[in-house]
Amino acid sequence: MVKPKTSTRSSMRVVREAPQILRDLRSLRVCVFHPRDQDGQGLTRQLERIGCQVQAFWPPLPDLPEGTDVVFLALSPDMLGADYAWRQNEDAPPVIAVIAYENPTLIEAVLRLGAIATVASPVRSFGLLSVLVLARDWHSTVRKQQKRIAQLESKLLGARQIAEAQDILCTQHGISKEEAYRVIREQAMQKRVTAEEIARSIINANEILGVKKLRS
Amino acid sequence: MANKDPVKVGVLYSQTGVTSAIESSQRLGTLLAIEEINDNGGIDGREIVAIEYDAASDPYQFRNLAERLVAIDNVNVIFGCYMSSTRKAVMPIVEKYNRILFYATLYEGFEFSNNIIYTGAAPNQNSVQLADFMMSMFGGQVYLVGSDYIYPYESNRIMSDLVHQRPGGSIVAQRYVPLNAGPKDFESIVAEIKECQPDFIFSTVVGDATQHFYNAYADAGLDPKLMPIGSLTTSEVEVAQMGAAVAAGHFTAAPYFASIDSAENHRVLQRFRTRFGDQIRPNACWEAAYFQVHLFANAMRGAGTDSVPVLMPEILGSEFLAPQGRVRVEPANHHTHLYPRIGRVNAKGEFAIVRASRNAVVPDPYLVTHSLGDWTLALETLQE
Repeated sequence: MVKPKTSTRSSMRVVREAPQILRDLRSLRVCVFHPRDQDGQGLTRQLERIGCQVQAFWPPLPDLPEGTDVVFLALSPDMLGADYAWRQNEDAPPVIAVIAYENPTLIEAVLRLGAIATVASPVRSFGLLSVLVLARDWHSTVRKQQKRIAQLESKLLGARQIAEAQDILCTQHGISKEEAYRVIREQAMQKRVTAEEIARSIINANEILGVKKLRS
Repeated sequence: MANKDPVKVGVLYSQTGVTSAIESSQRLGTLLAIEEINDNGGIDGREIVAIEYDAASDPYQFRNLAERLVAIDNVNVIFGCYMSSTRKAVMPIVEKYNRILFYATLYEGFEFSNNIIYTGAAPNQNSVQLADFMMSMFGGQVYLVGSDYIYPYESNRIMSDLVHQRPGGSIVAQRYVPLNAGPKDFESIVAEIKECQPDFIFSTVVGDATQHFYNAYADAGLDPKLMPIGSLTTSEVEVAQMGAAVAAGHFTAAPYFASIDSAENHRVLQRFRTRFGDQIRPNACWEAAYFQVHLFANAMRGAGTDSVPVLMPEILGSEFLAPQGRVRVEPANHHTHLYPRIGRVNAKGEFAIVRASRNAVVPDPYLVTHSLGDWTLALETLQE
């Protein structure tokens, strides 16, 4: 027998609170699209054991039940061509595909579906909980990042527009860049809009006036 | 004291349903090998006893009967399955109870189970060779037709990949018919083929539907000399169903044809015809079903038992002089080293072998991208 290592340092165990994503499991609304066979029943029962609120259907519904948080979808070979309209929805919940084959034809279908994880058939109870949690966590991370990227892109565009508006003011009014920025800020505050919007108005006005100038 | 108790094995093929013709031949190939072994004193004096059920071409029946075989009949080894869906249905059973399934059918690859031995061709042992041959002989405009299930989807993916490797190669169309397709289902397909004039047709239609497709082709007056059908699933059984006149001139790739001219093949065919007559046509699936029983029996002689943890290591890496040549079970992936061949149906309804591999091809079931013109897969020309 291996003797446990004796250590002079006392070990510190930090008790952490269960993360929200784990505490959410009991209120999670899970939609299962799976034939009502042994595998489908096993999947549904394990999700119920975990404590999720499960609704199971076969064949898949054209629309998801209201408030669905996560979808399990059996990707049977005879339904590879199926089109799931609800996938197009911007706020579509994460999909976990249940697969019985692992050939390129089927994996291509998993990718096309945009599934975030797969569960192998026959479904084992062990492993389902971690897939469920990781898939939801990853889905929410991706969502947050997408939102952040959209914000940054619009900020970047705004900064470019402000710079362009500054240039217009500089050439047309013979003022410095700093002065031009101050003018934009003042206008924005007076009109209670963002500096970016003022910048866009200046650019638009300049385009229209520019066209006029060319014609005259 | 020597154990003289009989060795029970499960035999699970369909004697009814859409793929019963080919599966009946696999069943008889299995029974032939069992009789042969028993006539020669069994496995160290132990008789092999087959416990058989008709799984009716239905995955649910396969699953239930496989469970019955292991849980009630208490067999350690099952020989059976044809369609991938039926193998997938039996796989969880043999894994759960730690038994062995011997699977004697070509399939689409991308599978490995510790509890399955695969003795039919993987795609790198038939698809590549067929694509290479058909395109070099007839051209790169290919029409794909198959039964509506996973094997044809994946076979067609591989074929499309290979066709696109050839300059100017293209898939003219891709059509699927139900597993139980009848003559009517092929009318529009043959009309479309006539219209778009591909260089050849790649067929992965399986079972009874096969004859309806070839019949529709013949009825439309299409000429195999100009625009033949190349297939992986049209064996001697399907040719017999449609008749020689309809089948003549079309091609199939397989590791075995009944026409192979070897002493071992003549011996096995002679024995088969004496025992079972010539109602059922020997074919590649029949041959794999036959030789895999011998692989099992030899391994069990080495192991002294059919207990799976002892038996499996004896099976892996084992060799057997089969009618197609010396085959070997690849320990790394449980598939079998086989000899790809191309056959053309002649006027008598037999396959004249036009190309053959001199060496066995190593099975590679997880190969995603196959390559045309791979020299390790080059076939020898036997007939032009």
